[in-house]
Amino acid sequence: MGTINSAFNIISGALDADQAALGVIANNVANANTTGYTEETATFQENSPVTINGANFGDGVTETGAESMRDRVLEGRIDQQQQLESSSSARLTALNTMQSLFTPDSGSSSSEAGDIGNDITNFYDAFSSLESNATSNSLRQEVLSSAQTLTSDVSNAANGLGQQQQALDQEATSVVGQVNSLSTALAQLNQQIMSTSPDADAGTLEDQRQSDLSQLSQLVGINQITTANNGLTITTTSGQVLVSQNTSNQITMGKVNGVTHFFVGTTDATSDLASGGGELGGDLTARDQDIPTALSALDNLAFTIATTVNSQQAQGTDFDGNTGADIFAEPTQVAGSAQSMSVVMTDPNGIAAAAAGAGASSGDDSNAVSLSALQTTVQSQLNGQDPNSFYSDFVTQLGSTISEVQTENTAQSASVTQLTTQRNSLSEVNLNNEASSLTNMQRSYQAASQFFTILDSVMASALNLGEETAVS
Amino acid sequence: MGAQKGKAQPQMKELVREASAALARLDAERLEELARCCQALNRDLRKKPDAHEGAALTAQAREAAGEFVVFTRVLEATRANLDVMMHLRAFQQEQLEYGGQARARHWARQEASDGNN
Repeated sequence: MGTINSAFNIISGALDADQAALGVIANNVANANTTGYTEETATFQENSPVTINGANFGDGVTETGAESMRDRVLEGRIDQQQQLESSSSARLTALNTMQSLFTPDSGSSSSEAGDIGNDITNFYDAFSSLESNATSNSLRQEVLSSAQTLTSDVSNAANGLGQQQQALDQEATSVVGQVNSLSTALAQLNQQIMSTSPDADAGTLEDQRQSDLSQLSQLVGINQITTANNGLTITTTSGQVLVSQNTSNQITMGKVNGVTHFFVGTTDATSDLASGGGELGGDLTARDQDIPTALSALDNLAFTIATTVNSQQAQGTDFDGNTGADIFAEPTQVAGSAQSMSVVMTDPNGIAAAAAGAGASSGDDSNAVSLSALQTTVQSQLNGQDPNSFYSDFVTQLGSTISEVQTENTAQSASVTQLTTQRNSLSEVNLNNEASSLTNMQRSYQAASQFFTILDSVMASALNLGEETAVS
Repeated sequence: MGAQKGKAQPQMKELVREASAALARLDAERLEELARCCQALNRDLRKKPDAHEGAALTAQAREAAGEFVVFTRVLEATRANLDVMMHLRAFQQEQLEYGGQARARHWARQEASDGNN
């Protein structure tokens, strides 16, 4: 091809390439404010060399199409952090709703679930008051009233948790609907990308796919595997395939013991989806882990109070000289005790304040003393704690879990913010220099490390000061 | 920033919280400033504050413990993110240095055509 035309081709090829590059720049400027749009750079590919009079010459460049400056590694890292952040965020919301159930409302005059701690104290204190005048009808009535308040608040708390569990169940179902829609869209995009750009960046299609992947990452924990011809396989974090090239596997739902379970194919993926991340992971963790833990604690509390009080009642004599009957409906099993907790005694004379064998209306208070002492009696069913301490620990534990999840969420949000900032310098239409952005990240990390080291030392010194102060 | 009498003590908790926020937005200048604040606080502590100041600082340190855990987690996440970015950078530089796939194919063709490989 050793002709002068070859030389012209080199020159005109370069001019065409420049023109195409200008077109790409214009495109970037026009799309500068388009969400998800990725800056495109012109890709120049060397043509085969030409030989003129026996000498080899490079034959210039050809513009081979725009290539988006995204990097799947970075996008994958953002998606991964986004999944964690979405999960902890959804779980945190659920935990805060739970906590509000157990927070006393200072502005409310009526008793509510948040008053359970006080209810327990008031109930046992009512027996203590009865000790001073075991024949007093009003004091006996006070015992029944406080029992009613306690059962009502415990039962309402359990119902509140049950309602929240149902709401989370519905929320999870809705999220899975969105996951299925996105999976379908991603399979279609895969098909388009694989057929139109098997060897090159697919530009706007790739942007659309990345945007859908980001949305999917907020909803569910996923892994992305790049396949041949620019295809993509998407699995849940535990490996169930959601999208395989141009095919999507829908997540199906079914009730198991009244609770919605989620299936990929025939596999029940519910617990995997709970630990996988995304909004779905957070919702399912709250539904299947946090709420059942709280319900179990309430059930244990209700079961123990009802059975121990009824049992002590049976060891005394009531005002009419009969063996003490049940104050509470006797639970048959621990599960469900909180929700069904109720007072069955209606006559205050039924309270067995006197010891067994004591005469009717004797004024003996020895069984009332024993009933009152249950407040401070440790119970094996309550992890070796008395009822008040057990409830107090439960509330503290809930607060501690919230604090832990809040910490995770803050750190994950920060991580997403950092990565997004880095992506903006690399991928979106932005004038910032990528290298300078990385340098800034390094500088920030170094300064933060220095801050950490010094503060660690400051805190250790400050805590030691306290010990020295306490000693002196 | 000192622990002298009569001076308002900035809460250690607020200091740590601000550091976490600055690290999240990669505000290097603010982080360097906060590190200097900490150095000053450290110097003050070495002057052995009296019992009252000591007790106040101890209370502050205890209050800041939760925020410090958050900061530690953000720092860990930053280190992981920085690792990812450094690897990306190295990968991109490698591509620039040795060319992309197209360039590799081009040289392979040349080698095959000269008959000496």
